[in-house]
Amino acid sequence: MAYDLHFDWSSSITEVMLGATKAEGGTRRLSYRIGGGTTLPFLETTQGSSAPLIAFEICDNPQYWSPIVRNYCGDLVNDCGEWAKTADSGYGSDMIRLYLTSTRQRNFSDIPSVGKTVESVLSNTSLPLIIEGSNEPKIDSEVFLKCGEAGQGERLLLGTAEAGRYRSIAAAAMAYNHSVIAQSPIDVNLAKQLNILLKEIGLSRDHIIIDPYTGSLGYGFEYSYSAMERIRFSALKGDTDLAMPIICSAVDTLTVKEIREAGPAIQDDIAVQWEFTTGLAAAIAGSEIICVRHPKTIPLLRKAFASLKSGKNTIGGQ
Amino acid sequence: MTDVELAIKKGESQLKAEITKIEGTFSYEDTAYHLPISYALTGIPVYDRITSLDVFSRTKDNPLVASECILAKETAQEGKEVSPYTGFIGDSIIRKLGYSLVDGSILGLALIVGSPKSSGTAAAICRELQEKYMLTFLAGPVVPSLSSAGVKLGLDYRLIPLGSKTLHGVHFVDIIARVAMMFGGVTPGDINRLLTYAAERAKAIVIVFPGLSDEEIALVDGMRVLGFPILSLGDYSGGAWIPSTPEEIVSTGMESKGIRVNVTAIPIPMGCSPAFEGKSIRKEEMYVEFGGGRSPAFELLCMKNSNEIVDGQVTVIGPEIDSMVEGSANPLAIIIEVAGKTMKKDYEPVLERRIHNFVNYGEGSWHVAQRDLIWVRLSKEAVAKGVKIEHLGKLLASKFRMDFPQLLDAVSVTLITDKEKVLAAKKEAELVYEERDARIKGMRDGDVNIYYSCTLCQTFAPNHVCVITPERPALCGAISWLDGKIAYEMSPSGANQPIEKGPEINAQNGEFEGVNRFVKKASHGEIDRCSLYSVMEYPMTCCGCFECIALMLPEVNGIMVVNREFKGLTPSGMSFSTLAGTIGGGAQTPGFAGISKGYILSDRFLQGEGGIERLVWMPAQLKEELKSRLSKKLAEQGKPDLFDKIADETNAATIEDLMVYMDRIKHPALTMKPLV
Repeated sequence: MAYDLHFDWSSSITEVMLGATKAEGGTRRLSYRIGGGTTLPFLETTQGSSAPLIAFEICDNPQYWSPIVRNYCGDLVNDCGEWAKTADSGYGSDMIRLYLTSTRQRNFSDIPSVGKTVESVLSNTSLPLIIEGSNEPKIDSEVFLKCGEAGQGERLLLGTAEAGRYRSIAAAAMAYNHSVIAQSPIDVNLAKQLNILLKEIGLSRDHIIIDPYTGSLGYGFEYSYSAMERIRFSALKGDTDLAMPIICSAVDTLTVKEIREAGPAIQDDIAVQWEFTTGLAAAIAGSEIICVRHPKTIPLLRKAFASLKSGKNTIGGQ
Repeated sequence: MTDVELAIKKGESQLKAEITKIEGTFSYEDTAYHLPISYALTGIPVYDRITSLDVFSRTKDNPLVASECILAKETAQEGKEVSPYTGFIGDSIIRKLGYSLVDGSILGLALIVGSPKSSGTAAAICRELQEKYMLTFLAGPVVPSLSSAGVKLGLDYRLIPLGSKTLHGVHFVDIIARVAMMFGGVTPGDINRLLTYAAERAKAIVIVFPGLSDEEIALVDGMRVLGFPILSLGDYSGGAWIPSTPEEIVSTGMESKGIRVNVTAIPIPMGCSPAFEGKSIRKEEMYVEFGGGRSPAFELLCMKNSNEIVDGQVTVIGPEIDSMVEGSANPLAIIIEVAGKTMKKDYEPVLERRIHNFVNYGEGSWHVAQRDLIWVRLSKEAVAKGVKIEHLGKLLASKFRMDFPQLLDAVSVTLITDKEKVLAAKKEAELVYEERDARIKGMRDGDVNIYYSCTLCQTFAPNHVCVITPERPALCGAISWLDGKIAYEMSPSGANQPIEKGPEINAQNGEFEGVNRFVKKASHGEIDRCSLYSVMEYPMTCCGCFECIALMLPEVNGIMVVNREFKGLTPSGMSFSTLAGTIGGGAQTPGFAGISKGYILSDRFLQGEGGIERLVWMPAQLKEELKSRLSKKLAEQGKPDLFDKIADETNAATIEDLMVYMDRIKHPALTMKPLV
């Protein structure tokens, strides 16, 4: 028996472009268009509907990174250019997400180094990039200006705007034509409010990706799942202020007790399984970019998505 | 004295004569926007005589366009001026500058032109602009004047010397035109969009010293179209320029363009944060108290004209804390005067309610109740740290400015502790309270076309939508129609949105097309219809905050109301909390409605079910609370005996008791149209 998979929904998720190929004014070998969904994830029956993108997360100061990843990736973690290159050609990710963890050091002031780091990652991979700026409101303005400038033309995804601090990141996106990750603490209405604030400051809807905040599996993930579902339902029912693609990064996954306390022989496997299961659940809830930190999670997610869906939707390049 | 009007006329014709003499080709480097003003206005790239004249005539001989073309030609002929002058500023720097504007690290832009009589005056104005996070551009004789006074110029100092002539001031406008195209989504040639952007988004002011020529006056006056206030210092009369003094010119300019500096820290010797809001000060911890029935005290917030009050001023009339006896009750009047361009008299009571929150934000200050019922305490700990009566005033003045930056430009606070003066001021305050009550009381749902929504509770009841009308406050009792209106004006994207009620579908039930449309959307498609005055058909959804629940009792053909405070079982067989669990969460449950206490006193109460005669039962405590107002109202409606016919738990604890009671007293609900 055939079901109508669109129920009585009338609206779709806004499409957002990530990355820019040479023809589009950037230097990426490919670019993505995400969004466009008209029903729940993995229910699209039309040809060419896309599987979620997998973004591999790296950082420029590994002192703030999980020891599990540091052990697995080895020396790579000390050179984010090389790390990005390996993530691209070796690990097979769709995007690279760079966290500028160096800015988390006390009294960080070496703003020019931020630009250099972004440029080095851009030159070492030709995948579209996500850049996570500072964690410190005092230096936001300078850091985001630098990120925006260094990635001009590349249609970066910049993170992370929050209700209390979104002006610098929105300004960088508007000045240099990037998109923004808008994060709210697992709350549909706060997500909507932040999107409205971004809209009021002048950022257009097709430059916003919602991050509903992702708790890791067993540590509040079900709240994130519910928020994502509700955002998706609202969007499909016509709420344009919530009709943006969703990104998920369960950043605390690798530090959960079960992984921390696992024996050395099985720790790596548990970490991967935990990250994979969280990522898969997030994708099913409607996330269109799944971020991971363990390289071995990528093929597992890839296989799971393939069994659920056809390939990704490339709009430029190969 | 220069007559501005006359000078504009002469200047414009001189500019016209000059532009017709333009020869050769000209363009700027490092820009994708050609001559940006001309390009933004018409979408036409100007680079020679023909294109100049074309744009000039298309813009109806605009003096900005003329000046831009003339300057571009001169620059091409004579070359760029040397340092410190910047001349035309390229796109990449404008992008950064636009970034700082969006980002908020620059609050606004200022242009200064003319010849200051004393360089000290100009330097002082620049310093004030720097302190207030303005980015200032300079053109003409003002530049050497500042240099001679030792003022450092350059982007790092937020003072940018554009050029040696006033004509270079045109770059100020080309910068704003480019910011509009880069950041404001203004397409070249879309004049309306450009003007709207410039007027609403570009926070720019122009300060004019004496000595401008006619052409320069025409150029500067041309900027008024973009909504920039032109403030002048001496020597100019007439026109739409605003005369000012060196001391006031910056604040007048910023104020008239709505540019505000945010207050961030409150200079008082105690912590101030919402974190302290719930902390009460017990008798043993208290140093002194005010009001609470122990001494006369009241609070009042009034609107004034901005020239009547000094922002931040705090005055204490009467004894300070050090001359008060520990543990004593003292008289207190808190009088707050506010001014702001968008402030309205209607907002007064809503803002006045915030005194309660703000005083409680203080680590050692505590406040309850409102108007002339207030009760305020200061703790021993706070007084030991040096907190005085004066600091309450500082706290209030700062918090009002911080929390309502869009609304208030100036706040001053007067605190009176002298008994005679408090009593005298209280008499006047009581008149104001009466006047306000009359204003809200008189309002009818039929008088307005706009109702307000409240979706604050969607955080936990995702599909709940409150519809607030003048005669039906929010079900929590905390937000009236006026509050909703004001909340919307203060925060246009907030949880209170206007609802155009639209054509009537059912007058008795209070069902409107516009309300239905809004509720459908705001409930994410879950609720199709909403009747404002009915419990039985399509009642409003309930979040969980309702003060009372109204529910149908089919056995007696009536409706009962139970308030949150009532802990026992109601004749329905259920307690308040069981009922609340049944109907809350954003659901629409026919036969049940969440309501505020105030709504029981409304003429619209139970209108859909035939009116207040349907009301058969209320807890005794709620009856007592409403008694004076409700029995007065019923008497006015010619039903003086109805109040006593409403049963409570003392004479009807169960549905059986209630049936017997109602039969005995012949409750009118029994003979009304069947509810089901």
